[in-house]
Amino acid sequence: MMTGVVQMLTENLPVLLPLMVIQIILMATALISLARTKQTRGPKWMWVLLIIFVNTLGPVAYFIFGRSEEG
Amino acid sequence: MQWITIYKKEWLEILRNYKWIWVPLVFILFCIIDPLSTYYLPVIIEATGGLPEGAVFDLPTPPPSEAFMMSISQLNTLGVLVLALITMGSISGEKKSGVAELVLVKPVSHLSYLTAKWAAASTLLILSAAIGLIASWYYVQLLFGDLPFTAVAAAIFFYSLWILFLTSISLFMNAWSRIPGLVLFFTLAALMIMSLVTSVFSKYLAWSPARLSSYLRSLLITGDVPADLWYTSLVTAAMTLLLLYAGTKRLKKSSMLS
Repeated sequence: MMTGVVQMLTENLPVLLPLMVIQIILMATALISLARTKQTRGPKWMWVLLIIFVNTLGPVAYFIFGRSEEG
Repeated sequence: MQWITIYKKEWLEILRNYKWIWVPLVFILFCIIDPLSTYYLPVIIEATGGLPEGAVFDLPTPPPSEAFMMSISQLNTLGVLVLALITMGSISGEKKSGVAELVLVKPVSHLSYLTAKWAAASTLLILSAAIGLIASWYYVQLLFGDLPFTAVAAAIFFYSLWILFLTSISLFMNAWSRIPGLVLFFTLAALMIMSLVTSVFSKYLAWSPARLSSYLRSLLITGDVPADLWYTSLVTAAMTLLLLYAGTKRLKKSSMLS
């Protein structure tokens, strides 16, 4: 069954690739922004984990709630 | 001109805090996730263990217009939430930190201050929604079938009016409260009450802004703009202007008090 899933993924790569690229850009942007700010709301390592492991919602939550006073 | 200056300053902030990257990306994700998961539903069911033996479950493929409407309804829920979240502090946060007083001490009219902020936020959100909907159109074209681009372009145009209206509600609430959380709450509550009232008195409120996106469905199916949509757009535009005017009034009053 696993091979079926892998085959399906490779067959549909043109459709799924943009989705993955968008999520990776989103994650990278959040990480760059995190590295550049001095202070965040809550500990930085928590945001790193959230951004990397929580798909889409992690970076968005960071951008909306994580950034303390804009500098 | 001062209006242009404030507008530019708002855009500088949008560029600095990465909104120009993440808002369009998130809107694209919102727009494409439903058409994609609908298309792959049989595969997903198969991959997660399949249906029980003998179960017959016919999954109809939605027509292209319906698949595209999924993106619009996704924008109407998650998109609106993001809109309210990123605009909730646009004045109220500045009031709290004192930046608003600094800006308004200079000969800047309250009207330009409010409308420039409204225009900057709306530009970002309209561009994001347009990019998202075009991405959705690409996938609909690829996976579900033909949907004329003229209908999609018209839908984007009318949806932009809805976004202008939504940001004007949020900025109106911004003029009222200093607490971003309250602005968010009042914005979402106003929307909920509006859609509730519209559905209860649907007979009389055919042109309520809350029905704008439901008229988009017939636009996408038939390809021409229903008359009701024109009238709804007029009402929406009028209410947007009214909200901006009332917000300016309120802002003037509150800065005289402080």
